[in-house]
Amino acid sequence: MATVEIRNLRKAYGALEVLHDISIDIADGEFVALVGPSGCGKSTLLRCIAGLETIRSGEIRIDGRVVNDLAPKDRDIAMVFQNYALYPHMNVAANMGFALKLSGRPKAEIEERVGKAAAILDLARQLGRKPVALSGGQRQRVAMGRAIVRDPKVFLFDEPLSNLDAKLRVAMRAEIRELQQRLGTTTIYVTHDQTEAMTMADKIAVLNGGRLEQVGAPLELYRTPANLFVAGFIGSPQMNFVAGDLARKANADTIGVRPEHLSVGRDGDGWRGRVISAEHLGSDTFVHVEVPEAGRLTARTVGDMPVAAGDDVVLTPMAGYLHRFDGDGQAL
Amino acid sequence: MSDLALSSRKPAATLNGYRIVQSISVFVIALVVISPLFMLFIASLKDDRFQILADMGSFRAFWVDNPTFNNFREVGNFAGELAFGRYLGNSLLILGSTVSLGLVINSMAGFILAWGSLPGRALILSVIIALYVIPQESIIMPLLIIVSRAGLSDTFTAQILPFVASPLYTFLFYQFFAQLPKELYEAASIDGASIFRTWWSIFMPLSLPALATVSILMGIETWNQYLWPILITQTDYARPISVAIATFFGQDSIFWDRAMAASVLMMIPILVFYLAFQRWFISSFVGSAVKG
Ligand SMILES: Nc1ncnc2c1ncn2[C@@H]1O[C@H](COP(=O)(O)OP(=O)(O)OP(=O)(O)O)[C@@H](O)[C@H]1O
Ligand SMILES: [Mg+2]
Repeated sequence: MATVEIRNLRKAYGALEVLHDISIDIADGEFVALVGPSGCGKSTLLRCIAGLETIRSGEIRIDGRVVNDLAPKDRDIAMVFQNYALYPHMNVAANMGFALKLSGRPKAEIEERVGKAAAILDLARQLGRKPVALSGGQRQRVAMGRAIVRDPKVFLFDEPLSNLDAKLRVAMRAEIRELQQRLGTTTIYVTHDQTEAMTMADKIAVLNGGRLEQVGAPLELYRTPANLFVAGFIGSPQMNFVAGDLARKANADTIGVRPEHLSVGRDGDGWRGRVISAEHLGSDTFVHVEVPEAGRLTARTVGDMPVAAGDDVVLTPMAGYLHRFDGDGQAL
Repeated sequence: MSDLALSSRKPAATLNGYRIVQSISVFVIALVVISPLFMLFIASLKDDRFQILADMGSFRAFWVDNPTFNNFREVGNFAGELAFGRYLGNSLLILGSTVSLGLVINSMAGFILAWGSLPGRALILSVIIALYVIPQESIIMPLLIIVSRAGLSDTFTAQILPFVASPLYTFLFYQFFAQLPKELYEAASIDGASIFRTWWSIFMPLSLPALATVSILMGIETWNQYLWPILITQTDYARPISVAIATFFGQDSIFWDRAMAASVLMMIPILVFYLAFQRWFISSFVGSAVKG
């Protein structure tokens, strides 16, 4: 258990700087999700914290200690890789116990700790198997097990669920979160899936193009995005953005309103438009509407909304849910 | 329907034609490769060395009327400076030491080249490839001078040490290690494994195909060394079997019968060695073929 502080971190590959002046504070026991589009530097930041990459400048502290010059093994972190990186020739028990064996723990202790982790992860019956003989989900658990037997100060996860099918992913999401809360270990979790971040994290850090756009609790990012990028990245379906006269009327360069904050009616005050298509998901209906002065907008309404393509509707933004942005994309 | 049946028969027919051509060519190649070996084996069972010579040009080279193991017995009683078995032992000692040291040294070097933080790695790699191009024979005289100056003439060391480190095998290991996922290396370093431990506990056990391939190539190369042992040994003390067999080809007469038996004896260990490793050897070539 430990805090992680990152101060003015810069990372470059050759002349190309890929992380620009990143600073984040992570409290003891906190679960932080790093999100952002592909190539924004999430993995690189995680690997810098792990010590797998050397940084150009700045400072990384784990538990108050500067670790810039420490090898990965001396940072007391454990990492779960996207492809799990299990040792193919070792069985599950040996995979999980390898770090303990290297640190010279007695055999009995290793066995006990591996056994305990296996019980938590429901792997007790697979201990003698090699990774090839495991399902994707089981391999994922072994990778988790390898991290937790060491009882490190920090867990680092790099898209650990991206190789699982959708159903298993949702199940493992809850399981990892539960496990993390039970162990109370500070966790940094990379994902490009904003739903994963929203549901699991105490705090989300949004990266874009190597810059930190915003750090905050999931609902904070949802309610008060700092800029256009965060507003567009967090939330699904995406926030609607409108520029032009409608924005100027609200004293902004761009205004944004989330689909769930647009009510759909037949008449009344609001933006008149024609339904292009309606997606009936059962629980919700996504209505895509062409509004002459605003462009294409998406509204999210109740599941049994009787709308179809070609209908004329009125979209009304709910009071207090309008986001305003200036010419630089910053929230007003 | 009939159209479908026709079209489904056609590829099968061409496949069969292809199969037949393939089988015949494999058979012919096998015949070409195996017949000299078979001839050698048959000849080793013939008692009369003049008969062996006389049979050489006809089909009688593949037939023996009264097979006998006399030649083998005589080779066993061979009265050179050493007993025949000792030369075989020398060869085995040189083979075992060269291959086992070679596996360790070349795989370590390949591993550091693939995963170590090594300044000038690209330069070292191109030097290694350049070294591989140089034929062994062209450096044999300077090597001879170095080894004799070092006082190693007439020793086993002189026949082992110069051939342990090899650019070819280092490069082969380098390539094999480099294609393994980098996360394996990183996971090991996070787990606290030293670079030595990572090589030994993670990468070596995953390298059976590379280990087998290098063992076989290196083993055959070592076993067949002839020029170098002749140059570097003055007495028979450390001479390998390849050199001993040459003594059957005397100045005034050639003992074909015993030479044949000795050759068969020389082939057996390296054949066993090959068979022991060939499973992985083949799979490694298939693997690299599939990957392209
Ligand atoms: N070894 C490297 N050499 C040069 N550039 C690299 C290297 N590794 C990553 N990069 C670059 O750094 C940037 C960040 O890469 P990174 O892998 O951190 O992205 P990511 O956010 O994890 O993306 P993804 O979601 O696709 O995994 C990318 O532009 C990438 O091209
Ligand atoms: Mg990544």
